[in-house]
Amino acid sequence: MEQNHDHLERRCPRLGGLIPFGYCRKHGGDGLPCGKLLDCWWEYFDIQAYVDDVYPEEVIDKIFAAKPKPKITSLIDLIEAARKRTETS
Amino acid sequence: MEDRKILLSEDEMPRQWYNILADIKMNPPLGPDGKPVTPDALAPVFPMNLIEQEVSTERWIDIPEEVLGILKIWRPSPLVRALSLEKALGTPAKIYFKNESVSPPGSHKPNTAVPQAYYNKEFGIKRMTTETGAGQWGSALSFACSQFGLECKVYMVRVSFDQKPYRKSMMAAWGGKCVASPSTETKAGREALERDPNTPGSLGIAISEAIEAAVSDSSGKTRYSLGSVLNHVMLHQTIIGLEAKKQLAKVGDYPDIVIGCAGGGSNFAGIAFPFVLDKINGKAIEIYPVEPAGCPTMTKAPFVYDHGDTARYTPLLPMHSLGHAFVPPPFHAGGLRYHGMAPTVSQLVVEGLIEPKAVTQLDAYAAGVLLARTEGIIPAPETTHALACVVAEAKKAKEEGKEKVILFNWSGHGLLDLMAYDKYFANELTNFALDDREIAAAEKVFEHFPKPAILKSR
Repeated sequence: MEQNHDHLERRCPRLGGLIPFGYCRKHGGDGLPCGKLLDCWWEYFDIQAYVDDVYPEEVIDKIFAAKPKPKITSLIDLIEAARKRTETS
Repeated sequence: MEDRKILLSEDEMPRQWYNILADIKMNPPLGPDGKPVTPDALAPVFPMNLIEQEVSTERWIDIPEEVLGILKIWRPSPLVRALSLEKALGTPAKIYFKNESVSPPGSHKPNTAVPQAYYNKEFGIKRMTTETGAGQWGSALSFACSQFGLECKVYMVRVSFDQKPYRKSMMAAWGGKCVASPSTETKAGREALERDPNTPGSLGIAISEAIEAAVSDSSGKTRYSLGSVLNHVMLHQTIIGLEAKKQLAKVGDYPDIVIGCAGGGSNFAGIAFPFVLDKINGKAIEIYPVEPAGCPTMTKAPFVYDHGDTARYTPLLPMHSLGHAFVPPPFHAGGLRYHGMAPTVSQLVVEGLIEPKAVTQLDAYAAGVLLARTEGIIPAPETTHALACVVAEAKKAKEEGKEKVILFNWSGHGLLDLMAYDKYFANELTNFALDDREIAAAEKVFEHFPKPAILKSR
């Protein structure tokens, strides 16, 4: 099922350019799908069935059902992560 | 013959930005410890003068003369009466747009890039970093940094970097250094490349790289910059709407409807927030942020009596429905779905001061082409969402025979986004389309439900 849709393209509202489905399903971070997968791809095929079929429940909960963090909070997380990375290098 | 452009002189430019935080209540953002974020927590990535703006509740904030001096390169931007579009639609509506595509990088983004570069320079910063997707923001920040003699480093997600080589050239022309992300220049980038040397990158990795570059500079002379979402970004963009108000006043008009596309919220905030202030003070005005449609087009679904909820508690209602069991894509706080939406925009939805609209990508591109062939400017793909809403409202005004005044923000041109238009012309972009099997499956849900009569008034 994954390979059937990988070639489809649409404009990514985050990146701003045309992006293939094959990118969206695995480049949302840590190899996980993008959190906007459902929002973006419903116009092309039954993305809900695809998600239910392909991803385990914990991934669905983590990626699609999670409440997004406020930008400021995520920036502070990123600052902390950057500090830890550079302190250990 | 009617004038197309309503212009302001440079002397008439607004001298203050409008800060909507003076007029709405917001929950403070919480840090990882669950307590409200303090300004110090942001100090590693933003200069304190910008952090002060981020949390300020002063209604009006002075625009520094040095910033005005740079903005004057393209501002005040023209307010254009869309006479050709009005004629093409045969609408009695008067349609105006702020043409933000006239800025050097071709979008509204430098309205905040310039003040951000200025405040960083004032704070003693020498180098700015950022991430960019398709390159609009990276271009804007490169331009702004060049005006203030700052270095600019842009981490561009590789998949876009490879697609849009001219964005890198644009940034280089302004002295910005654009590298594909993941890069070998940061630990975050190197780790990503170790995991997958051929990775096309992601916005998450690019942000991590840009922040790491700022945080790890031991000289303390590097800061990070963000082109949307944050309060100070919305603040800087309000110059768009403030100019528009003055321009409309020159021709004795005031909008009934204000429209802007809403991705992260900054161009919408720019055109809309000054009018939200009027609405708060009692003006009758409709304000629409427009986003890509996130739910199937109902006209493609069968017209049936159905419950409005999956639990089947609501009465049966005649509607175009894919079935009460159909799970639509997720909708988030206040009706705006984008995870990265500016909190101020989301709050205005919650308070009922603005009303989100959604359009499909085909309607958006169709409107984009119509505007290109009438008003002449090829719109950026995100702008086309606002245009589709404008066309719909103009047609509605025609049906109702009302001479409404519609104002929208033409947030940028699409001259570096022509591949998307090619796909549209080649019919390679689609709207939601259920195949026969899927429609039959959807209709099966209703086999024991009563069917509504198809009634027509004329």
